[in-house]
Amino acid sequence: MYVPGSTPAHRLDPRAKLAVQVAFALAAFAHTTPRGLVVATGVVAACLWAARTPPWEALDELRLLVPFLLAGPLVETVVLGPPWLAPEQAVAPALASYRTLLVVLVAAAYVRTTPTRESQAALQWFVPGKPGRALGLCVGLVARYLTVLRADLRRTRTAMRARLGDQLPVRERMRIVAVTGLGRVFDRSDRLALAMRARCLSWNPTLPRLRLGRADAVALALATALLAWAVAPLVASTGPLVWPLA
Amino acid sequence: MSTQEQSVDLVDASTALALARVALFAALAGAFAFVSFEYPLSPAPVTLQVLAVFLAGLFLGPVWGAVSMGVYLVAGAVGLPVFANATAGVGVLFGPTGGYLLSYPLAAGVIGYVAHGGPEVRSLDEVGVPRLVAALVAGVVVIYTLGAAGLMAFGGLGLEAAVVGGAVVFLPAEAVKLAAAVGIARSDDVAMDA
Repeated sequence: MYVPGSTPAHRLDPRAKLAVQVAFALAAFAHTTPRGLVVATGVVAACLWAARTPPWEALDELRLLVPFLLAGPLVETVVLGPPWLAPEQAVAPALASYRTLLVVLVAAAYVRTTPTRESQAALQWFVPGKPGRALGLCVGLVARYLTVLRADLRRTRTAMRARLGDQLPVRERMRIVAVTGLGRVFDRSDRLALAMRARCLSWNPTLPRLRLGRADAVALALATALLAWAVAPLVASTGPLVWPLA
Repeated sequence: MSTQEQSVDLVDASTALALARVALFAALAGAFAFVSFEYPLSPAPVTLQVLAVFLAGLFLGPVWGAVSMGVYLVAGAVGLPVFANATAGVGVLFGPTGGYLLSYPLAAGVIGYVAHGGPEVRSLDEVGVPRLVAALVAGVVVIYTLGAAGLMAFGGLGLEAAVVGGAVVFLPAEAVKLAAAVGIARSDDVAMDA
């Protein structure tokens, strides 16, 4: 979740932060080796430092991923038959899990330091024209209605429990919750569409202004370096004539 | 101080309604990710995310259904807590469970296309139960194929571990959601104006 603040990462332009995030993910995938991941760990440390976020706080929000990260190496270690355990098979999944952890940490730093409104403006800058406007509008509406629909569903489940509905079969409980959710969705979207048109919903509204500063140059340089590092193995293996096609 | 003049290009009524529905279905998928049921035949609590994919394909059709799930992914990528357990960020999309998430737009498109027999949206009353089931089964195949591929690509699992641990064990719970989705599509509880 976004945490208001004034760290260096908060002051960066959202476009520069998104560039670093994507370039980092590509670089980490291209260099899933012990040496590559040591370098990547250094980049993660720098990102978290810029966001003034201790890694355990960033990880705390992502607890759900931990079983999946551990499952890969554990499942591959066990073999069906003697000698039953093959730790050497766990090396590749363990590296992949660690890489995922790093990518998730960089993304968590972005999420904590970027308000949705800025992400929306960046989206409309990345995707020009009507599709970008529609995308920005829809993401803004998701942010607005997520909590509303969540509260609708919570009320439904409370009402169902109060009437001993939790003793119904799972299929029936799912159906009741989903029907209520759908009903609310159609109801709210009809009213929302009317309200948006009443307020002159247009394809060309005035956008918040995005400006690149000096700190953003540093972030963009980092993103460029990461991108170059990510494509370096491709260039080395296929030769300079072919790589623009890859 | 510079001034700028431009005329307002209004969004027409049908597009405004379509966009509102796209956004609300994406938000519903985010809200469904929070609703979990204990199910004895499933190793993990079952969330309703996939049911939202089914409903988006059935009720919005292949085009807007796929757009809606695309909006859901973008909303999560830019930081709204719409994925399971209130997670967000590009990292989740490229994490071990990323394959499932990335398959949602395609799955909603496939479900809508098979159920409505083409890109045009028909009334669900005209769609027979066998066609509904076929559409949803096709959607489940898309989600779990890409999900298992994601576990292999992003989680480093082998083929066998990904298929058994990432798809087969969840199929009984998917059958329950599939039955629920057919029940919803065939019931008169949800009224939608075209």
